[in-house]
Amino acid sequence: MTRGVPRWVIGLMLPIALLLLWQAWGSAANNVRMPLPTKVAAAAVQMVADGELPRAILQSVTRVFAGFMVAALLAIPLGLAMGHSRAIERNVDPLVESFRPIAAIAILPLAILWFGTGTSAAIFIVAYAAFFPLVVNTIAGTKRINPSLLQAAATMGIPRFTTIRTVLVPAALPSIGVGLRIAMGVAWTAIVAAELAVGAKAGGGGSGGVGQMMFVFYAYSIELNRIIVCMIAVGLVAFTLDRLLRGALRLAMPWSVR
Amino acid sequence: MQGSQSTRTVSRGRAVVIYVRTMAVFFVVWALIAMWTGNPILLPSPLVAFEALVELARSLELFEQAAVSLLRMLGSLAIAASIAIPLGLLMGLYRVLDDVIDPTIELLRPISGIAWIPLGLFMFGIGNALPMFIMTYAAFFPILLGTVAGVRAVDGKLIDAARTMGVPHRAVLTHVVLPATLPALLVAVRLGVASAWTAVVASELIGAPSGLGYAIEWYRGLLMTPQVMSFIAMIGVLGYLCDRAVRELAQRLTPWAPETVASR
Repeated sequence: MTRGVPRWVIGLMLPIALLLLWQAWGSAANNVRMPLPTKVAAAAVQMVADGELPRAILQSVTRVFAGFMVAALLAIPLGLAMGHSRAIERNVDPLVESFRPIAAIAILPLAILWFGTGTSAAIFIVAYAAFFPLVVNTIAGTKRINPSLLQAAATMGIPRFTTIRTVLVPAALPSIGVGLRIAMGVAWTAIVAAELAVGAKAGGGGSGGVGQMMFVFYAYSIELNRIIVCMIAVGLVAFTLDRLLRGALRLAMPWSVR
Repeated sequence: MQGSQSTRTVSRGRAVVIYVRTMAVFFVVWALIAMWTGNPILLPSPLVAFEALVELARSLELFEQAAVSLLRMLGSLAIAASIAIPLGLLMGLYRVLDDVIDPTIELLRPISGIAWIPLGLFMFGIGNALPMFIMTYAAFFPILLGTVAGVRAVDGKLIDAARTMGVPHRAVLTHVVLPATLPALLVAVRLGVASAWTAVVASELIGAPSGLGYAIEWYRGLLMTPQVMSFIAMIGVLGYLCDRAVRELAQRLTPWAPETVASR
């Protein structure tokens, strides 16, 4: 039955059917506020054209990158140290494992208390969220190294830091790459949540970003079409970030990324 | 064997000592920073936070809110699993179904559950329905994808063998495919639990009149930081215990599976 039909055509059938159903059902509902695919598309064009949406996205993405950098700078060296030295791992692990189950969003109220409702609180949340997947995957990657490589380096009298730089880090890189990808996904979710919650609790006040924009559309101007545009944008950015990161990782280590 | 057993208990004892030592250092550093800032709202000392925790536990408020959040999570998990597992089994078994449904899943999946909160507030208002919807959504994708991957990984020879011996189609499903998928399925449920538990806080923070997320936000509004910290700690403890419970369940149900042993 499906012979000869390309797979992507089959894949598009359900989304198109759902959109048509939504359009028909929404039109029949006869409610001005009811979001419709056509209205969402119109709102999307408008929001992109007047630069409102790109600006908000840019702000959120900038925050994600800033927080991500902080997390990477702390987590990767720590992960390498923990994976390399049993003593360091044993002593630091309880702390990491105690905080890991606490979701970044749960820390948000404290972050607001400490850093206010601006960018620094957002960066803190992102860094916290990205930290744990990075540490865990860096440790795992460091441990997976073939011990004879380390022994060979030691036999040849290579200094410890040179060994770490030239043997340990390259061996751990694929796993760090996995950590980076997971961390990016978590970080993006966290920033949207943080902006949303800050928007909700600071009375929609000026933290900016996509999350806050969504909240303003919810609480003040009640524009469901625009909320849906934001949701789609959140999904698109998540997808794009992951693809970009995967591309970058493939360039950096073509041997390991599928 | 005897020897390795005893070294293991010794190292476990040492692990406890190291754990206590690390956490002691953490609390001392915390206390010192608290003394240095001298602002009990910004950073109360660990002792004050502990008192608040005891107080909240004694008044049972801590447990009441925790029970609300936990029940919501269990409810959402049940809904998510009862849709995602059958769907995942079918998608894993029938290529056509996967071709039809998978692209839609991949379109929706990057939109995090949290991004649904503003729209969800319209659809459900503030109450039980919103956090449950968000958590169900959050748990749905990992469970579905894990189940599909699990079914795909079932050894084809097992199915062929069963068919050769004339086992009816249905029995192949319940006696071969399902048990072989179970380990992957439980890993998927574990991911779903983690994902839902992250969503609980965000959705209750904004859209619920009760629960741990709500309590955190309530006490933050009152600037009662020790209470805020107590509830945050509770979220961490429960998150850990939920994960532990699923792992324990996995070990009971699928003692043969290598993953469950490795994850310990």
